[in-house]
Amino acid sequence: MKFLSNGNLRGWLESLMGMGSLIAPVDLEPGLTLFSQVRDPGEVNLEYEITPIPPKDLFFPSSEALFRFSPSRGYEIPRIEGETFLLGVHPCDALGIRLMDFPFLSPPADPRYEERRRRTTIIGLGCVKARPECFCTSFGIGPLDPSNADAFLVPVPGGFLVEAKTGKGARALASAKLEEASIPIPKPPEVSAIDVEAVRKVALSLFDSPYWGRLADRCLSCKVCAYVCPSCYCFDIRDYPTRDGAERVRSWDSCQSPLFTRQASGYDPRQTKASRLRNRFYHKFSYFPDEFGAFGCTGCGRCVRYCPVNIDIRETLSAILRGEARIA
Amino acid sequence: MPSGSDPFLPLLAEISEVRDLTPDIKLFKLNLREGRIDYRPGQFAIISAFGVGEAPFTFASLPEEGLEFAIRKMGTVTSALHDLGPGDLVGIRGPYGNAFPLEEYKGKDIIIIGGGIGIAPLRPLIHWFIKRKGDYGDLLIIYGARTPRDFAFSHEFEDWARGARLELAIDPPGAPEWKGRVALVPAVVKELKPSPRGSIAITCGPPIMIHYVIQELKALGFSPGQIVTTLEAKMKCGMGKCMRCNVGNKYVCKDGPVFTVEQISQLLEEF
Amino acid sequence: MIEEIRAKAADLLRSGEVKCFIGYERASDGLTARPFFAYSADEADRLIFDGTCVHNLARYLPDMRGKRVGILAKPCDSRSINVLIREGQVEREEVYIVGVVCDGVYRTTWGKPSLELQPRCLYCSKRTPVVYDYLIGQPPPAPESRHPASISEVEALERKPAAERWEFWRSHFARCIRCNACRQICPACYCPQCFSDQLDPLWTGIRIGLPQNWVWNVGRALHLAGRCVDCEECQRACPMGIPLAILNRKLASRVKELFGFEAGMDPRAPFPFATFENEEEIL
Repeated sequence: MKFLSNGNLRGWLESLMGMGSLIAPVDLEPGLTLFSQVRDPGEVNLEYEITPIPPKDLFFPSSEALFRFSPSRGYEIPRIEGETFLLGVHPCDALGIRLMDFPFLSPPADPRYEERRRRTTIIGLGCVKARPECFCTSFGIGPLDPSNADAFLVPVPGGFLVEAKTGKGARALASAKLEEASIPIPKPPEVSAIDVEAVRKVALSLFDSPYWGRLADRCLSCKVCAYVCPSCYCFDIRDYPTRDGAERVRSWDSCQSPLFTRQASGYDPRQTKASRLRNRFYHKFSYFPDEFGAFGCTGCGRCVRYCPVNIDIRETLSAILRGEARIA
Repeated sequence: MPSGSDPFLPLLAEISEVRDLTPDIKLFKLNLREGRIDYRPGQFAIISAFGVGEAPFTFASLPEEGLEFAIRKMGTVTSALHDLGPGDLVGIRGPYGNAFPLEEYKGKDIIIIGGGIGIAPLRPLIHWFIKRKGDYGDLLIIYGARTPRDFAFSHEFEDWARGARLELAIDPPGAPEWKGRVALVPAVVKELKPSPRGSIAITCGPPIMIHYVIQELKALGFSPGQIVTTLEAKMKCGMGKCMRCNVGNKYVCKDGPVFTVEQISQLLEEF
Repeated sequence: MIEEIRAKAADLLRSGEVKCFIGYERASDGLTARPFFAYSADEADRLIFDGTCVHNLARYLPDMRGKRVGILAKPCDSRSINVLIREGQVEREEVYIVGVVCDGVYRTTWGKPSLELQPRCLYCSKRTPVVYDYLIGQPPPAPESRHPASISEVEALERKPAAERWEFWRSHFARCIRCNACRQICPACYCPQCFSDQLDPLWTGIRIGLPQNWVWNVGRALHLAGRCVDCEECQRACPMGIPLAILNRKLASRVKELFGFEAGMDPRAPFPFATFENEEEIL
């Protein structure tokens, strides 16, 4: 690894801004950091704790027009142009992007997602502190794990240890004034892991447990857990009429929404909060791994922090490990 | 733009014919403007009413008969489609889903059991089995609807009755001109007692009808592998990406919509 | 106080007077609270009550129709219960309300301890529940408000020029992700079909972003005028830090100015926006 001093950081960020869009954590307000387009390198906060939304919207926007159509002009598809440098991605969020590759890139691949991934360089950032809700180590990553990023920064006194992991990452780092590293890689903060493999083995035996109903009592059926999650990707598609045709929009959605599976006839196979809550959990820890060989969770803990009624996925994992229909 | 490169882009198709089948079901015949859709019975397409949205519909005809869809007016998309007529443009993408394994049914007696709009995915099968009578055993068609006017494809009943045994039923009672059977579809199955020996039963209709039909067939000795159904689900992408149509770990759009009861019994959730 | 709450809830459950008692228990961070549904006298031991118990539990009542339930209600929650009763969403006889006198609740964030009172509690004068079957705590002597001279965030915003106020809301609504946490946590948002989910007619549709986010947030605020009790749960639930409570509070103060009406205070008062009079006094 090489060393990038805090003094040389600004110059590097400026050169990235010259090469494309720089998206990095920016404080919108004290205590609210979001991945945003950077206008001045001074805005970048690489000491941030968490962003409510992971950077998934760079690849899977909260809303986008799939196309516009009119009988006279045919299809008009928004162009995806330019290059993006996504800086400051914690290992959990980098894993989240990798996990979303599975549904979006498996055939038939979504060309929009594919194009955005191609045009984006992910510059990861190690975590020197863990939050109380973190459990990323459950998924084969850790606070200083550089996998799933094109380049990786580890905060150390005076700057960052940096390394390129891919050709894209090397290209992004080429314009940084790097020095030889004389500081060792710090020890990562402690993050306790949950044995999710063991959960997966026994999970299905608790599918019909009254546990889900008790847990769901306080669930609000909002969409927070899905929207803040780096690896949730449910979406809705609907047209907006235009003067002479249609704009087809794809937007985020959540399987927790009471309307998610309701058919036009009014029939709904998932009428209860319990069945919806259960579905989210099993998708992440059973169905997604069945389909793609990886858990659909990164251990970022956002759902734990932002659930307004504290439905804590780690408590559910523990309950399953204990084999109990433990009251939520 | 062909839907091959961007799976979300529908092919354009013109409505060539609209026929009223029942007070709320219309049969739409579509002509593709470009491209082709090669499908097999059991699969479905997603049809766009531009400006409103999309919805999934099973192919209601054999490929050689042209693209036909039986659409029941239920929500915003189907209502918008019902407002269209010959010459109007719609979008269509597909085929999606799995098909009925017709080769596997060769030599067997076939029992087709439909309720209401559920006859739509069964109609291409009926045409297929009647055309290839020599390859299959006896064909029994049980079809129930609320009233006589709610039988879709009643204009084909004569043809069906020539190539198969056709048993109709309405429920609830109340149509004085109807001289036929008044019963719910599962009760008709119970009454007719089709033999499970060397048979395949294929059923489609409202979820509750499917549930009770399966019960009756099992009571007659049909094994779960001998009972086939096609499921409905709320869908958006049709490709297993939007996560709306999964029943447990199976996608209705990819692993279905055709399922045997053996497969359904392994489903963890309600469908 | 806690022992009395637990004992009362256990009594109600043991006697079968209620099938379920809705209160609070400690959250998974060991610091904050979360709603808890007790179904037996034993489970009542898990109940807690302190300044971290911010949730407006009335939100759960419309879903419990047909069941006798007990509920712990702070003053704002009790006002919500009145609103729900008045709007026909809750049967008074089906709810056993254990009211609790309130000292104010904290600004809570999961995982972070806080002893900072929510700003609205600083100027709140309603420290005793307005409807209850059993009261826990001593009603404070008048005057009830702890800091009657506090300046609210509404007044601070009102003093700004229009262009600044517009940008304030525009920049906040730009980051709304339409997660509907504000709606789902609100006791007054119980519509089986919310206008934002309607596709025919199309209000917001599914698109997330401006201008649809204006329609959503302002539309919801308008629907809450005269019905919102300022529990501030919408603001707490919002993951994007949008100060929704300021908007709802502003509309509530306008309703009070125009109609002399405050949500949930008097269960018999006619609703300003749901009452039609042949000779309207205020037009």
